[in-house]
Amino acid sequence: MIDQYETFGHHRNVARSLLILISLLAVVVIIPATLLSQESTVYVSVLSTKLFVVGAANPETGVFYKKTTDDTVWQHTGPKNIRDFGIAVHTPSRGQLICIAAGNGLHKTTDGGKTWKMTTGWQITEVSSVVIDKDDPHLIFCTTPYGVFKTLDGGATWVECNNGIKQLFTSSILMDHSNSSTLYCSTEDGVYRSEDRGNSWKRTGLTVGGVRVVVQHPKDSNTLFAGTDNNGIYVTHNGGKYWEKCAAGLDHSTFYAIVFDPNNPQILYAGGYVTGVYKSTDGGQSWKRINDGLTNLNIHSLAVDPTNSNRVYAGTLWSGVFRSLDGGASWHSAGLTGSQVWTITVQPF
Amino acid sequence: MGEVSTSMAGRVLLVLIALGSVSIHSMAQMGSSPESRFEQRRLRLMDVVSQERDRGFFTVAAKLATGRDKEFALAMLDSLTSDESMGGMFYSYMAIGTYLRLKDQLPDTLLHKIRRAYRERTMYRGDTENHWVAYYTGLYLAAQTWPNEERSQWFNGKSSAENFKESEEWLSRWMTTTATIGQGEFDSPTYFTVFITPMITLFDFAKDPVMKRKAQMTADLLLADFAAEHLDGNYCGGHSRDYPEDIINPLSAPAALWAWLYFGEPKVELWQESRYRPRYRGGWETLFGAMSSYRLPDVIYRIATDRSKAYVHTETKRVRNIIRFGREKNPPVYKYTYMTHDYALGSLQGGILQPIQQHTWDVTYRSDKPNNTIFTLHPFYSGKELAMFFPEEQKFLADDVDRYHIVYTDPRKWNSSSPYEQTFQHKNAIIVLYDIYPEANHKHIDGFFPKNLDERIDDSSGWIFCRAGSVYAAVFPLRPYEWIEEKINWRWRSADLKNGIVLEVGCSDEDGTFESFKKNVIQSKPALNSSKDDLTVNYKTRRGDAMKFTFGGKRLLNGKTVDFRAYKLFNGPFIQSERGSGVITLTDGNNVRMLNFKKATIKEWQLSKN
Repeated sequence: MIDQYETFGHHRNVARSLLILISLLAVVVIIPATLLSQESTVYVSVLSTKLFVVGAANPETGVFYKKTTDDTVWQHTGPKNIRDFGIAVHTPSRGQLICIAAGNGLHKTTDGGKTWKMTTGWQITEVSSVVIDKDDPHLIFCTTPYGVFKTLDGGATWVECNNGIKQLFTSSILMDHSNSSTLYCSTEDGVYRSEDRGNSWKRTGLTVGGVRVVVQHPKDSNTLFAGTDNNGIYVTHNGGKYWEKCAAGLDHSTFYAIVFDPNNPQILYAGGYVTGVYKSTDGGQSWKRINDGLTNLNIHSLAVDPTNSNRVYAGTLWSGVFRSLDGGASWHSAGLTGSQVWTITVQPF
Repeated sequence: MGEVSTSMAGRVLLVLIALGSVSIHSMAQMGSSPESRFEQRRLRLMDVVSQERDRGFFTVAAKLATGRDKEFALAMLDSLTSDESMGGMFYSYMAIGTYLRLKDQLPDTLLHKIRRAYRERTMYRGDTENHWVAYYTGLYLAAQTWPNEERSQWFNGKSSAENFKESEEWLSRWMTTTATIGQGEFDSPTYFTVFITPMITLFDFAKDPVMKRKAQMTADLLLADFAAEHLDGNYCGGHSRDYPEDIINPLSAPAALWAWLYFGEPKVELWQESRYRPRYRGGWETLFGAMSSYRLPDVIYRIATDRSKAYVHTETKRVRNIIRFGREKNPPVYKYTYMTHDYALGSLQGGILQPIQQHTWDVTYRSDKPNNTIFTLHPFYSGKELAMFFPEEQKFLADDVDRYHIVYTDPRKWNSSSPYEQTFQHKNAIIVLYDIYPEANHKHIDGFFPKNLDERIDDSSGWIFCRAGSVYAAVFPLRPYEWIEEKINWRWRSADLKNGIVLEVGCSDEDGTFESFKKNVIQSKPALNSSKDDLTVNYKTRRGDAMKFTFGGKRLLNGKTVDFRAYKLFNGPFIQSERGSGVITLTDGNNVRMLNFKKATIKEWQLSKN
């Protein structure tokens, strides 16, 4: 028997089930629909163009951005022609805080690009990448050919933090999304890990030369992928202790860019020297090339729009930006033709 | 402002110019004292540059300084300060240099536009030593000119004080480094001009007396460094960076115009000589030298021009920053140069000492003909070489560099560093060995022999004898070779992987006739030991010195090992300096000028006749 109370309870359970169902539907249907219509912004750093000549009158290079829904004009922000290698956009501030890693040093805006300051002096040059702590925007790390530097005060002062790193040429840095005290940097003799905010480093199990990029699984912080110059792609599932080489489907050996789909970590994209774009749909176990429409196969940067996983960007060396609206199945030029697009990031605002 | 204000100096110039360029030209050839001849040359140069039409700060400065085409010059300056695409390190020092030299003649609108450029233009700092010298000199003087301004008033978001401090720090550090362990972009016939011009500008306008003196000392050092290896306008010896056109035609390099201005050599006005055109890369930087209050010390003038006695001059320089694939950040470069009245034989030790534009060795001789040089090289290129020095991706660097330096991957290029090339020089003899790995992109070596040699003989003894006027050269190829005829030269080419040459140079003063030179040389024949693991040459020079050289091994002179580590920063009859001391002693045998970079002092005295 079911009493009223119970009946009510039954109805209540039904109602609860309905609510859950609706919630699930919202998760499955409504939120993505919302995300589809949500604005996002793609930022790219253009290192150089085909017309660039050092010291001469030059076409604009540097950071460009545009709304992902806008197919027309890229807008420039920040200093021009300083050989921009990397860019870090602080998501919680919705792009008010942006850092540029450049030949001139590290440049920073805190007002969304209205004003910029070169935060470094002559001691720090040829900055290749930058990362900002999402929770403490005063904590910033950057990599250079002379090692890793960090600031605790938003760039007012910088300190060298290379204790334990043997080969100082560092090309990328990653801050663990679950613990900002843990960092990884890619060097000429492998991947290094720090557990004390860069005060000391230990080389991980990946000791091959020419590591160009390290990326982290959006949910599992112990899973990382590393792209290398000449040695392919490696993956670790234990925070760097052991690494395995990804082989299935990869016919190339030099990878400058790897990116997770932030909404589905089983999906990854990778690109590098004459590779075009590779895609994995099984968490990196196997890969397939997806180059339909790509007229330049030299890929240096990749990004997935967090508001729409089908929207993927590829930055090429000398052919600007390519965009896919179908998860990489087909590609179309998205402008900045003739540019070396070193870094891309898509932000959900 | 806005009105023309003509200074007394300007009026004097206008009077001189009114005399006409022809008379100034003839004045430049006359005069009794070195000072008066210099004065004539500098006025002549200003007059010549003032006739330029090409857009540039030096054209503007010359026209305004001489009063020629003033409206045209102001319009050109307006264009230079309005063109938003312009900026960077060269702009940085040229714009402020023009401003400081000529501000009394500029209307307020242009003064403001120049000021605005440092607020709105990005001044790219660049990635080479000359870039940084230009950038920080410009920034130093701009920050000094507009002090106490806020961060919002500067392109980099730093205040005047911050920019001044940073510039002062770097410039002082660079000067000290150059005077203690040597310059990185050393002895470059092309980029010499981009070092000396900022230093002279800094000397003219730095208000801090210490910085002013250090700039003067650095200008002295750069010019003395050049002077010790100078022969009739030619910058002799090995070079860190040189363009192919300048390597095969040394007087076409920008340094030659500085030699003309300060040393009075060559006697010809280079811009009048079509054989040296087109040159100066649109620069005319030497104009700032002509307008400067800097004066070359007499002792340096005599170092540059006294070739009464042959001498050996050695130097230590440094490799530019190696950022990966190297054990040492700035390994030493060892230079050896033998200077005579008629020729110079100079070399670096070989290997990769600079990317892209290294010139390892040559003979350069006094001549009234162009292309007055002989040398060999291995045309090496690799992305890895470039990645040692540049942070971009090594797989793309070679193509990238080819866009700027269009010959980098060319098998026929005339400038190259190569890990497969090493030298051993003793006075006027040199052994150059090549041990080329099979995986090298280019597997041959090339030699440059100008077509305008008076004689070139492939002797049955195995020697190739050359004569250019009273200068003689003998080249002994260690392996078979061929001659390829080209427009201005014969290209000597040999394709063996274990390879090399032995060369001796002489002249009529040393050897009498060409025949006697040949006879003396033929008496000795280089002995080559070559196996998979060995490449060794034994050679007894015509002067009787025994040289033994193993690639990657020892250099033995008369049985004793030559130890490069014993090299000083400078060691020769004209310049002395211990590495690390920061003290450079310049002498012509009678007078001494001592530059102490650690104390920022200059001392001069005369040597006693005893």
